[in-house]
Amino acid sequence: MSAAARARRLGPARLLAVLGAAAVGAFALSLAVGPAGIGIDAGGEARSLILTEIRLPRALLGALVGGSLGLSGAALQGYLRNPLAEPSLVGISGGAALGAVLAIHLGLSQALALALPAGGLAGAALAMIAVVALAGAHGGPLTLILAGLAVSSIATALIALALNLARNPFASVEMVFWMMGSLADRSLAQLWLSAPLMLAGMGLLLTVGRTLDALTLGEDAAQSLGLDLARARLLVVAGTALSVGAATAVTGIIGFVGLIVPHVLRPFAHHRPGLLLPASLLGGAVMLLLADVALRLLQPVVELRIGVLSALIGAPFFVWLVFKTRSELAP
Amino acid sequence: MRRPGVGWLRGPAAAVALLLLAAAAVPAAAAAQGQARPGRIVSLDLCTDQLLVELVERGRIAAVTHLAADPAVSAIPEMARGISITRGVAEDVLRYDPDLVLAGPFGVSATVDLLRRLGRNVVVVPLPSELSGIAAAVRTVAAAVGEPAKGEAMLARFERRLAQLGPPAEPRPTAVIYQIGGSVSGPGSLADAALAAAGFRNMVAAYRLTRGGQVPLEVLIARPPDLLVLSSAPDEYRTVLADNLRHPALAALRARRPSLELPWRHWLCGTPRIADAIERLAEARAALQAHRQ
Repeated sequence: MSAAARARRLGPARLLAVLGAAAVGAFALSLAVGPAGIGIDAGGEARSLILTEIRLPRALLGALVGGSLGLSGAALQGYLRNPLAEPSLVGISGGAALGAVLAIHLGLSQALALALPAGGLAGAALAMIAVVALAGAHGGPLTLILAGLAVSSIATALIALALNLARNPFASVEMVFWMMGSLADRSLAQLWLSAPLMLAGMGLLLTVGRTLDALTLGEDAAQSLGLDLARARLLVVAGTALSVGAATAVTGIIGFVGLIVPHVLRPFAHHRPGLLLPASLLGGAVMLLLADVALRLLQPVVELRIGVLSALIGAPFFVWLVFKTRSELAP
Repeated sequence: MRRPGVGWLRGPAAAVALLLLAAAAVPAAAAAQGQARPGRIVSLDLCTDQLLVELVERGRIAAVTHLAADPAVSAIPEMARGISITRGVAEDVLRYDPDLVLAGPFGVSATVDLLRRLGRNVVVVPLPSELSGIAAAVRTVAAAVGEPAKGEAMLARFERRLAQLGPPAEPRPTAVIYQIGGSVSGPGSLADAALAAAGFRNMVAAYRLTRGGQVPLEVLIARPPDLLVLSSAPDEYRTVLADNLRHPALAALRARRPSLELPWRHWLCGTPRIADAIERLAEARAALQAHRQ
């Protein structure tokens, strides 16, 4: 059965209900699995400590970060009308990581804890503005990818420079954290810092659905329908910077979630960007939670970073997308 | 472990006697070796830095690594302050025209090869990962710098400090040395040897570690050791990797159970200074056992 045929059988409410149920299931799985055993192999007080202070923040962060990445990927693809747009591919995650690294190593986050997500947010916003300026308003998919590559290369180099200048004996290991991401041993403190900003960003992104639907008809048509495109752009930039910036500041760069999830869900969302937004939020949460569960189940056999796993799933998909885009763009 | 000449020596008087002996022996040894005592010594390893600075007067030390004066990793930062710093590459070492270069066995083999080909006197010191290897490291450095008597005196003091600890009482309590990023010191490390010498059983053997040699925080919480040893204060390093030391779950564990902050400068290097770490651990063990009775 083709995706389109399946999609016809699933109404919007049904789609979101199925994804919501999957997210709840994945969340429960995430609480149940961990290095201290499936369930928790420990007594009373230790058990509640592990559940509330270690597994709960991990599962909540997995859901929120996955949701942020999936939703912002869908919003970027819809707004830029570009199938390759995704936070990490276009350098937004890199900018966020750089902002967070600077906040930590300049001592700002020690003075004021909120400086950490604020740094991520500022880095993400600057990277995004730089990419859009570089690629131009009407640049094609390839121009955008090139601009993103340039911005993320600069961000990566500056992260390495900052870590080395900080005379930090852990520079190389910390580089791995920022480049490949991790949900391991994060705490409620990091959740409280980032969750409000991620939720605010997601809230902003969910409001642009109607504009994105109209944009599928072209900019002129959207404007003739009385939609304010400048406002929509501001909302997409601010929403992505808030959600991806805050997410990356506490978990490092996790790539490809924002690419795969909207593409997989698009047929089910009847190719409507407005429906794809909430669907990708839920789908992103499901994907990251399940990847994190798989990671912990695999752990005795292989030690993988969450960013490595998401890239292993996402990069082949990216290759396929490049082929597809190339044939569509061919004269 | 060999304990040369310690059996009949006990107490501070003996230590003073040994020091006097050592002091008397120095000119004799120097005279015997004539002008063989090197006078422009460069060290390329944090651990050889520390032995060099303790065994040789400043005038003969040309340069050490920048780590020697770093209070985070060096056991003797004040003693090393003000000595010239080498970046450790051959070109930089040659600036000092050294007549002796001390290197560790790790990470500098290309530099060592190059310096030797250029005719420099390079001594690669066998840096130990167990306490029994400390004597060989000290003697290698002491012989190379022409201070064998000072080396023996240093070893005798070390042996005396260890001997004063006495045999550990059974059953041995468990301990874990928990570090930034969740790394732990396992079997075959100096920290593991220090734990054993202080009468602890390293709990690491009971954990299933990750491939990178870390203990996930929830495993530590599920099966905590009798004594949790942290290798740095939670706020010592500005790095996201130290978040595990600032984790509320770890704070909750520390509120319920004994823990000790034992900075890793005390046990990074296999020099007699590791006795500082062993003594602090032994004090913590005594407190634990007193608390239990």
